[in-house]
This record gives sequence, C-alpha cells and structure tokens, in this order.
Amino acid sequence: MRVGRGRLIAYGLGAALIGVGGAGLLRDAAETDPVGWLVWVAGAALVHDLLVVPAVLGVALLTGRLPTSYRRPVRVSLVLAASVSAVALPMVLGLGRRAGDPSRLPQAYGVHLAVVLALIGLAGAVATAFRAIRAGRGRSRRPR
Amino acid sequence: MLRRPDPARLITAIGRFASRERDGRDERTAAWLGAALGVSFTVAFVTGLISHFMQHPPGWAVWPSRPVGLYRLTQGAHVIGGLATIPLLLAKLWTVYPRLWQWPPVRSAGHALERALVFPLVGGALFQLVTGLFNIAYFYPFPFFFTTAHYWTAYIVYGALVVHVANEWAKVRGLRPGHGSADARPTGPSRRGFLATVAGACGLVGLTTVGETFTPLGGLALLSPRRPGVGPQRLPVNKTAAAAGVRPDPAWRLAVTGDVARELSLSLADLRAMPQHAARLPIACVEGWSAAGTWAGVRLRDVLHAAGVHAGARVRVESLEAGGRYRASEVDPPHWRDELTLLALDLNGEPLSPDHGYPCRLIAPDRPGVLQTKWIARLVVHGS
Ligand code: HEM
Repeated sequence: MRVGRGRLIAYGLGAALIGVGGAGLLRDAAETDPVGWLVWVAGAALVHDLLVVPAVLGVALLTGRLPTSYRRPVRVSLVLAASVSAVALPMVLGLGRRAGDPSRLPQAYGVHLAVVLALIGLAGAVATAFRAIRAGRGRSRRPR
Repeated sequence: MLRRPDPARLITAIGRFASRERDGRDERTAAWLGAALGVSFTVAFVTGLISHFMQHPPGWAVWPSRPVGLYRLTQGAHVIGGLATIPLLLAKLWTVYPRLWQWPPVRSAGHALERALVFPLVGGALFQLVTGLFNIAYFYPFPFFFTTAHYWTAYIVYGALVVHVANEWAKVRGLRPGHGSADARPTGPSRRGFLATVAGACGLVGLTTVGETFTPLGGLALLSPRRPGVGPQRLPVNKTAAAAGVRPDPAWRLAVTGDVARELSLSLADLRAMPQHAARLPIACVEGWSAAGTWAGVRLRDVLHAAGVHAGARVRVESLEAGGRYRASEVDPPHWRDELTLLALDLNGEPLSPDHGYPCRLIAPDRPGVLQTKWIARLVVHGS
C-alpha cells in the first residue's frame, strides 16, 4: 500500500507530540512520578479490558435472552444508568469532602443518583410497555 | 496427561466469545464513534492548552482580558465535554474490543507498531478521563501531581490519536454520503439505535453536570461537584482561609512596591476612600465550575497609577498565604488596565467573607480562578 504525503505528515506530527509528552513527563519526574504514571495508564487499560468489558459482555449475553421487544429498552436503560453511575461514583463516595469547606461536594449525591436512576428506569419501563402493546396490536391485526 | 494451553486457540476462543454480542460491533459504528471522539479530544486538547498557557504564558504572548467569560467557556467545555466523553470512549472501546484478541498478535512490523500505539492511545485516554474525573471530585488516590501528569499525557494521547486517525482515515471518509466503503451495509435500526443510545448517555451526563458552570441549568446539576449559589455569600470556595492559614488582621495594609514612582502602603480605610466600582464577574475555576458574583472595590489600575507605573509593567499579586502553588499570580497589562479588574473588598453587597479573601482579593475578567489571588498582601510591580 502506498503511503501518501498527508499520512506521512500525520505520522510525523503524532510522533512529535508523543515525544514532547514523553520528554515532559520525564523532565517533570518529581511531579509526574513516571513509574506511578505507568502503573495508572497500564492499570486503566487492564481494568477496562479484563474487568469492565467482560462485565458488560456478561450483562449483554444475559439481556440477549430477553424477548426482542424487552431487550432494546432494557439495554438502553442499562447503558444510561451505568454511564451516569460511573461519572457520579466519586461524588457519591464523597472521599473528596473536607471539613470546613461545605461548598465542596455540597449535594446529597447518593439521593440524586437514585433519582436519576429511577427516572431512567421509569422511562425504560414506559418504553417497554409501549413496545409490548404495539407488538400485541401488530399480532392481532395480522391475518391468519 | 495435561495438555499445554495453546495460546493461539485460547486467544482465538476469547476473541470469538467476545464477538458473540453483535450490538454496536460493526466497522461503521466504530468509525462514527471514532469521528466523535476525534472532535471531543480535539476540544479537550485545545481548551486544555488554553488553560495551561493562561496559567503559564510563554514570554512572547499575553492573553486578552476580553471576552469576559472566555475562560469560563473554554474550561467549562473542557470539563463537561470531558465528562460526556466517558460514555463515548467506553462505547468505542466496546465496539473494537474483539480486535484485542487477534491471532497472530502481530502480522508485520507495521502491524506491530500500529498495535503498540494502541496502548498509549487507550491507556492514555482512559487515564485522562479517570484522573480528570477524580480531580474534580477532589479525590487524589494517585502518586503524581494531577495537573502536570494530565498535561504531558495530553500530548501523548493526542499524538497517538493523530497517528491512529491517519491509519483509519479511509474508514472515516467512508462515512460521508456517496462514499460508501465496501463494508457499507445499509444503516440498520441496530446501528442507529446503538449510536443514539451512546449519544443519549453522553447527553445525560452533560445535562446532570453542566449546571455547575452554565447557571441557567443550575437546577439540573444533580451530580456536579459544585453548585453555583452554594457557599459563603452564595459563591463556592476552593480554598478556605483556614486551609490557607490566613487570619483576619486589623493592622492589615496593602503594600505597593517594586518598579513604582512611589511606594504605597494602604489601609482598608484608604482603599475604601478611593473611587469604588462594581463589576459582575465569574469565578471560573480550573476544575470547570464557575459562578458569577457582584464584586465591588477599587480598580487595580487606579491603585497602580497612584503608585506611578509604566504602561507595560507587570504586577505580581502576592497573598498573605505562607505557601502553596497559587500564593501569587502575575497580572499582565491587558488585565490590569481593564476597568473591570478590581481589588475587590465586597462581594454580593457585603464585605468579603474570610473564605473569599477578606480584606482584599483580585478579581479580573477572563482569568482562571486560581489566579484570582485572595488575601492580598502586596502588589509587586516589575518590568514587562
Ligand atoms: C473527564 C475528562 C476530563 C476532565 C474532568 C479534565 C479535567 C481537567 C482539569 C480540572 C484541568 C485543570 C487542571 C489545573 O489547572 O489544575 C485540566 C487541564 C488540562 N486537560 Fe483535562 N480533563 C479531562 C480530559 C482531558 C483530555 C481528554 C485531554 C486531552 C486530550 C485533556 C487535556 C488537558 C490539558 C492539556 C490541560 C492543561 C493542563 C495544565 O494546565 O497544565 N483533558 N483538565
């Protein structure tokens, strides 16, 4: 395959950026702790590849057994719920709270997350019911 | 007798198992998600660099002081956009996951290099999102200083992304109407549904957090680490007076020294006797939240002119704080000459609370919150 000029420029630019970042990381080693950094970069990839995706895969295979009309809304609800939960988790755990600064993490995040999840569940249930009704109608109208 | 496990068969089996779920698992979905990530990472990289160079301006450049809310906008886009990128990145990785388990692991030198680059790309992207999220939640379980590690990693991730996009460009181009690639099956309800779900997840994350900086949606900010209007004098606080080790001192005076025609030493009463001005300006935190307050006090330029400074002077604003990374900040000419830049004494109609910098703090337009120095002790004027 021929490698065009645009692509060569992109390779050069990419390599330069990686070089700048790597050199900076090492130059500021006192603040970046390159070994600790590497542990976190590799750790993030490993946790994702060996724990997060397999867990999602498990849920996908489980929900794959649901009847089609339920499957889609259930999966959509689960994706939304997992996304907001992942983002909210550090707030819900509240490990960053400091005595004396009540404006930092000031909300009842557990309650708020529960409300958001309940709304997602409600929307999912309504969508499922709607689909079930529609599917039922479609069946009864079908000629024998 | 036990058979030695055969890596080829094991890896292939895992790959086959991982691709049993078909939802979201086709090349065009991957290309769409990739294009969206390209946009979101470009926004993050550019706004991140803006934030960095606002705090560490290179010698040859100065930032403008207008538009007033520019930094508020760029850093809000950085953090809220970054949070909304979390479901997007996870979706993309889900889409391409089976490719992790391919046999043979490398087919050629070029393929080896391509796969080797996936590690900084994926690990680095996850790193940026995770450390960013932890940082805005004030949760620091890592051994490095967030800002510096996040800064340099941004170059590595973006560089890896540029190379990756160059390799995949043909597939992204295939997304344009009339450019159907060989793989282009008609857009089925499954692919559209998957992409719509991902978009919904990104939108929901944005909707429940953006109110921490976009005040009209403040009521929806159910999951954001800050809430505009919550804090002393209805404004959030990042560093309290107690944390900074600063106590109110009745003998306080503001010193104006350095490259000036006459040094000044002003009491709070002296400052109150000068012409007072009010300005509605936001605190726009590096952490992405922002909230506006009505500030009142003296214009910085009035004080500097009283001391006699030249037009190109720079000013170091020093805090009573004994130490810390943000103990002092530099004010360049565009900012100190701006009529909105105040040595604020009041916030929302009352004298500053200790946590907002009593007796006197800096407040200027288009400037990161960490540079709005609180508990000012001295203004040191120096050459440009
Ligand atoms: C969840 C996602 C993200 C969050 C919450 C986040 C958060 C932050 C925060 C709070 C800062 C300010 C640091 C400070 O000055 O104290 C920052 C700076 C920065 N971010 Fe992010 N970020 C995210 C994703 C990204 C991504 C994906 C990139 C790059 C591709 C990136 C690149 C940068 C850069 C270059 C800076 C400037 C650092 C400096 O001032 O030295 N960020 N980010």
